[in-house]
Amino acid sequence: MSAVSITGLVKTFGRTRALDGLDLEVREGEVLGFLGPNGAGKSTTLRILLGLLRADSGRVELLGGDPWRDVVALHRRVAYVPGDVSLWPQLTGGQAIDLMGRLRGGLDETRRAELIDTFELDPSKRGRTYSKGNRQKVAIVAALSSRAELLVLDEPTAGLDPLMEALFREEIRREKAAGRSVLLSSHILAEVEALADRISIIRQGRVVETGSLEQMRSHARTSVAATLHGGTDQLTSMPGVHDLSVEDHRVRFTVDADGLGSAMNTLATHGVTALTVTPPSLEDLFLQHYGERIPPSGNGAEGIAGEHTRAADDGGRSPRRRPRHRGTPREEERTEDGGPQ
Amino acid sequence: MSQLAGAGRLTRFALRLDAWKLVPWIAIIALFPLASYSAYDSLFPTPRDAVVLEVSLQTNPAFTLLFGHATNLETAAGFTTWRIQVFGMFFTALMAIFTVTRHARASEDTGQAELVDSGAVGQHARLASGVLLAWAASAAVAALIAGTLTAAGAAPEDALALGGMLGGMGIAFAGVAAVTAQIGSYARTANALAAAVLVASYVLRGLGDTLEDAEWLLWTNPMGWAELIRPAAENNPGPLALLAAVGIATAAVGARLARRRDFGAGLLRQGTGPDRSTAGISRHTVRLSRGPIASWLATSALLGFVYGIVAGTMSGFFSENPFVQQILAARAATEEDLVFAFVQMLTFIMAIIAAVFGVQLALRFAVEEDERRSEWVLSAPLARARYLAPTVAAALGAPTVAVAVSGTVLGTTAVATGTRADAWLVLLQTLAHAPAVWLAAALALALVGAAPQLRWIAWLALVYWIVLTLFGPVLKAPDWLMDTSPFHVIPRITADDADWAPVVVVLAIAVVLITAGFAAYRRRDLRTV
Repeated sequence: MSAVSITGLVKTFGRTRALDGLDLEVREGEVLGFLGPNGAGKSTTLRILLGLLRADSGRVELLGGDPWRDVVALHRRVAYVPGDVSLWPQLTGGQAIDLMGRLRGGLDETRRAELIDTFELDPSKRGRTYSKGNRQKVAIVAALSSRAELLVLDEPTAGLDPLMEALFREEIRREKAAGRSVLLSSHILAEVEALADRISIIRQGRVVETGSLEQMRSHARTSVAATLHGGTDQLTSMPGVHDLSVEDHRVRFTVDADGLGSAMNTLATHGVTALTVTPPSLEDLFLQHYGERIPPSGNGAEGIAGEHTRAADDGGRSPRRRPRHRGTPREEERTEDGGPQ
Repeated sequence: MSQLAGAGRLTRFALRLDAWKLVPWIAIIALFPLASYSAYDSLFPTPRDAVVLEVSLQTNPAFTLLFGHATNLETAAGFTTWRIQVFGMFFTALMAIFTVTRHARASEDTGQAELVDSGAVGQHARLASGVLLAWAASAAVAALIAGTLTAAGAAPEDALALGGMLGGMGIAFAGVAAVTAQIGSYARTANALAAAVLVASYVLRGLGDTLEDAEWLLWTNPMGWAELIRPAAENNPGPLALLAAVGIATAAVGARLARRRDFGAGLLRQGTGPDRSTAGISRHTVRLSRGPIASWLATSALLGFVYGIVAGTMSGFFSENPFVQQILAARAATEEDLVFAFVQMLTFIMAIIAAVFGVQLALRFAVEEDERRSEWVLSAPLARARYLAPTVAAALGAPTVAVAVSGTVLGTTAVATGTRADAWLVLLQTLAHAPAVWLAAALALALVGAAPQLRWIAWLALVYWIVLTLFGPVLKAPDWLMDTSPFHVIPRITADDADWAPVVVVLAIAVVLITAGFAAYRRRDLRTV
């Protein structure tokens, strides 16, 4: 059984279609990274899962139940950290944690103390005096000291400093090890990359890609930059090569996983003197889905070359999904070569 | 003056932000006098009608206590003054208080102020912009009243004096709010402190008007000064100048105090608190409203006490009033009857106070939703109905306690000071208003459950009921219109023909509204923006 199973979920607010046929699955015991920019529909999805909003259509199942109907029974097994935690100005953080604990019928006292200690939270301060990060910590402590089977976390580290972020990741790993499922919404790629077993990328109310990072990588292309001794004439005919650009002896291209081997062989026959191969990062994957929002590159020639080859092999895809690779290797290479900096 | 740098720009900005909040206040406060002035001729076709009203008002000092002296009803300007002075002063002052607090205090709670203060503006610019905006709004009220009444045919000096009476209150209380904004740590505390000054001022001027040889009490507080302007009678400019001077002086004090506190904190500091708690949702709900509950109960007790003391002076008042002596001589009414008529009026006011209290408690539930704490709380295993229930209980129960307290204090104080009244009957009469109070709260609860964005309707309805119940009979409103006020249909319990059927209707409507509130809250989306 899945912890969360959503198919064809639609939710509209007036004329805005916030969720447009969204599919999402969180398997038992896994951490699912729910990745997307602000406004893509992440929080709306989580709120529907918590029975705070009602779905217009689609099938939503939370721990085998209906999140709108079986609220009380399901919420005993779920803990939530809202995206922007708002505390009662006159109550202390400790009082807020205990209220949530009491509503859940008790919390794990040892864990509460431990978490307050770990996150260096002062539970005797009043809600209004906490910084954003500290408000976030209050909700995190309340959620993690519950005995919930599923943690629903909406951008939980927003406002946390890097040290606390690292501690938070450690705690999530512990939760996972204890067998809990986690739905982690985020727009922080590094966090998802570090924690998630699988990733779902949401865009304009739909999940456009789901899979483990490895699976996604196999779909995405590896970036290659090389300096060749010989000519570059045969390169254009290599299978699976895209975004090829050639400047004197320097070539750059991206290549599908299937074509990587033959591309390396071809390069070898051309006398490689320098080579950088970079596997696709999560950022690349993400940008493949959001590429069109990136402002045009300052480097005219590269931009045009990229556009050109992309347009050529983009035929069958929807116009929304316009991949564009602007990975780190090029940046590095430019610096090395004293390129267009 | 560098401390005020940017104040002008900020005021214009504040005006743009607040225009739509202020326009309804200004329009309602300023057009009410015009409506009343225009209705005068049809209400009182002959001068005799006005004299009849004046005399009948004088048999019941409750009117003087609540609305000030009715001295000059033979003229339209005099009647208008009597009708609107206390309401107008009260609401203009509230408008000024809320405006100043919003800029000087609430914006610190929400973080907007940080953005403003970090700009190239002086240390006092934000406070100054709030005060200036409140002054401008008060001046607009005064100018509108003066202009419209003059255009309608009133003597310009009468119209100006009445406008100045209301505007002057706004100016003075903008200054008071500039001070309280530095004292309270929260916008709500700041508003409550300024409102407490306003209520104290109202009570003091009531005593000054009603008690013998107590006119000096009018000199002790802003609402008293405003009354001493005596529009349409004496038109004194002196007290108006005093109001303006006090407004400026208190604003300056506010600016001085502002330098002695930290950003976001008040002079009344709240330190750390307990780091553990065992409260469930019911105790939690009460805990959030502890401040208002305590202050409203104290207000109820105070009002009961003050009104009880005034009731104690009734005998002296009756013996000096020739009209009352005639009534008593003709055996048209006993002194007990007259006293009870007075007391009934006071119990109505105490019921109104309780209704305001109930509506406020109910509406706080919507604030939790606006500030997105409901979202978090409801992620716990807590049914929506269970979450709403404690608020319903508090909004119905706490005002009931309030009327019981004020009724008990009023009755016992009145009896202790020698009034011919039965304390038990006074308490029962006060409690008889409870269904009307519950209906007001029930409307607020229904709105909170079904459509929190429309919750202002609860306040609108309450103001409508107050105005209708207090002035409807004077303005000869038809019965069907009067019957739209739940407070009007509450019978006098000592009457032989007391009709309780309407009270049952009021109760039934309240039950329907609360049920609808629960049903809608269970079914609707939580507001998330």
